[in-house]
Amino acid sequence: MNVDLLTQSPVFVLAIPLLFAFLTPLANKVSKELRNAVFLIGLLLTTLFVSLMAYEVYTMGSWIYVFGAEQPTTGLTTQSFFRITFLADGFSVLAALTIIITALGAGIYSFGHMKESNGLGKFYTLFLLTLAGVNGMVLTSDLFNLFVWFEVTSIASCGLIAYHNDRGESVEAALKYMIISVIAGLLLLFSIGFFYGEYGVLNYFLIRDSMTGSLIDILAIGMVMVILAMKASSVPMHMWAPDAYSEAPEPITPFIAITSLGSLFVLFRLLFFVFRGAVETSAIGSILIILGVLSMFIGVSMALKQSDLKRLIAYLSVSQVGYMMMAVGVGFATLGTGDYGIFGARAMEGGLFHMINDGVYKALLFLSAGGIVYVADTRDLNKLGGLAHHMPYTTFFFIIGGLSIAGIPPLSGFSSKLLIYKSVYLYNPVLAIIALVVSIVTLALIGKIFFNAFLGPDQGVGKKIPRSMILAMSILTIVVVLFSLFPNYVVAEIVVPAIEALGVGA
Amino acid sequence: MIDIVLQDIWSPIIFILVGILVSLIAYMFYLMGNPDYKRTKYKGDPFISGNRPPTDLKELHVGGDNVYWGFTKALRKYLDPLVEGHTGIVNDYVYWFVVTLAVVLVFLYIM
Amino acid sequence: MNWFTVFPLIMVVTLIIMGLYVVLFKKNLIKIIMGIALMQNGANLFLVSLAYREGYVAPIWTSAPSADMVLPTPHALTLTSIVIGVATTALMLSFVMMIKKHYGTINSDEVRRCRE
Repeated sequence: MNVDLLTQSPVFVLAIPLLFAFLTPLANKVSKELRNAVFLIGLLLTTLFVSLMAYEVYTMGSWIYVFGAEQPTTGLTTQSFFRITFLADGFSVLAALTIIITALGAGIYSFGHMKESNGLGKFYTLFLLTLAGVNGMVLTSDLFNLFVWFEVTSIASCGLIAYHNDRGESVEAALKYMIISVIAGLLLLFSIGFFYGEYGVLNYFLIRDSMTGSLIDILAIGMVMVILAMKASSVPMHMWAPDAYSEAPEPITPFIAITSLGSLFVLFRLLFFVFRGAVETSAIGSILIILGVLSMFIGVSMALKQSDLKRLIAYLSVSQVGYMMMAVGVGFATLGTGDYGIFGARAMEGGLFHMINDGVYKALLFLSAGGIVYVADTRDLNKLGGLAHHMPYTTFFFIIGGLSIAGIPPLSGFSSKLLIYKSVYLYNPVLAIIALVVSIVTLALIGKIFFNAFLGPDQGVGKKIPRSMILAMSILTIVVVLFSLFPNYVVAEIVVPAIEALGVGA
Repeated sequence: MIDIVLQDIWSPIIFILVGILVSLIAYMFYLMGNPDYKRTKYKGDPFISGNRPPTDLKELHVGGDNVYWGFTKALRKYLDPLVEGHTGIVNDYVYWFVVTLAVVLVFLYIM
Repeated sequence: MNWFTVFPLIMVVTLIIMGLYVVLFKKNLIKIIMGIALMQNGANLFLVSLAYREGYVAPIWTSAPSADMVLPTPHALTLTSIVIGVATTALMLSFVMMIKKHYGTINSDEVRRCRE
């Protein structure tokens, strides 16, 4: 058999979490250490195959992976046009890298944090299932397959949010997220029905080739946009986000943020790759910019009045999603005009670089907040204080994550925000001013958390922070520092191939 | 044509090197100070509008709701309706979703 | 486009609007989940009704009359969607059971400890 392992890597990125998700309950019956080992091996193997896929895409170019054909790279012939396909190009690799770095950090962190809980076999199973669902969402190039992975992700992540079911608030947050996710999934199925009824095909490539701009198309595209923006927690559909982020167990909170980022990746791929020829770019670009500006502003305003640590960081996360939507909206609105070469492509670079930065530093921020909650046993900022005497490492990690989210040089958040400011200013100066003001208020909020939680007189704590949590946070810090010191390299090697893979490289 | 490339506008290595250089110059100024000064832990009583400072150190720490209270009080007219709008009711979550969907579809139809 | 092909689409729109009305305006959590089930039925009916062609028969091979068959792909998509609907309804109902245990009520005006 002539099977090339590197060409098969997209299916392994999906299949390994699925396989290990079903092996974990079996290993749980044997012993605890075996289950932890199986989970860790699953995560590390997925990392290996994501890096193999990245290596293959960056050296040999992109390819379409066809399921069920004799050779996986046959391409879309007339005999295989009804098969499910995966697309491995620069954009999928950018998304998969963001997802797997955060998942690795969250997974290693959960060994230390969830030591006192029981029922952990189900926890690790749902974790690996969610990872498989998000990987499927960003890799697929078939509309109905997207719906299936969308539902898998929402069901598995709702199960994880309600994990601590001895508290009523966790179950309430999970039910609210689930109701709106299922309604969004139904409307997604409805709009997929529109596409199928008009064109008879479901593959991204075939729809892109046969797309006209009729009225039903515009309806379906509008619905898909609002649904994926809801899953990405943009205002005004963001109200599930503070509940879900604050009530989830501490290792899971960056993971829910990763499902939001995954749906944002899917939205951009659909808009740029499939729907570009049929819509008026200025109209959809304006919608993205308006949603982005609303998210930035309202997210950071609601964060001013919070006294709960994780709800505050969740509102900051909502406002960072606004940055990405605004930047890519500027890029989309200037497509086709001459301005795209001047500043539109740079806005796209800034937006996509901000997505991979945001995945890593937000995870770092949430994990250090989780460290605070583990040591002090409370989430209320009114009762915390003086933790820097006991947790020097966590203080350092929180400073790095906090300065990065506020966009302070020389950290990685500054590089992407500088690109966004400079290019969005040329589109409309008001947007850049709003982005700067939101950045300053974000810095003020990070200062508030730092002052309340870490500074102040020593109040005495009972627990020590476990070593696996420090290890996970240091892995993420090393990635943040690497992105800060070499941003040119990251933009040229990882972000620009993603933009060229979408077909809009300048 | 204005081309904004990241290499031309921002280099973190030069930023860090300049930062280290300026810190070295500041340290040399610090070394020119008075060598007889002894550092103590007592740095003076805090001024709390003329009241006596509390003896228990734990009450000095400003709580979570009290930081930035002047800022939130000044923006009361904008922040209070916003917080009122964020009810916790599930029906409102779906309501905002349907309203956004309707507005986006009408906007796309007009344009 | 005669009455026979338009009628399922009118029913689909009716079902989805009824389901949305229930989710938006009813306060009992179990009624909200029933409204979601109505919407799921509407979406599945939409997918099946897309496949119909005039005068063709159901796509079943065993002892089939020799005539053309309707498109089978939406039938496969509908089966997947029905299974997903069952899973989500079961999970949501179990969440409602646990909320009743913790809060003592299933009125959505009172199940709001996570507010603002």
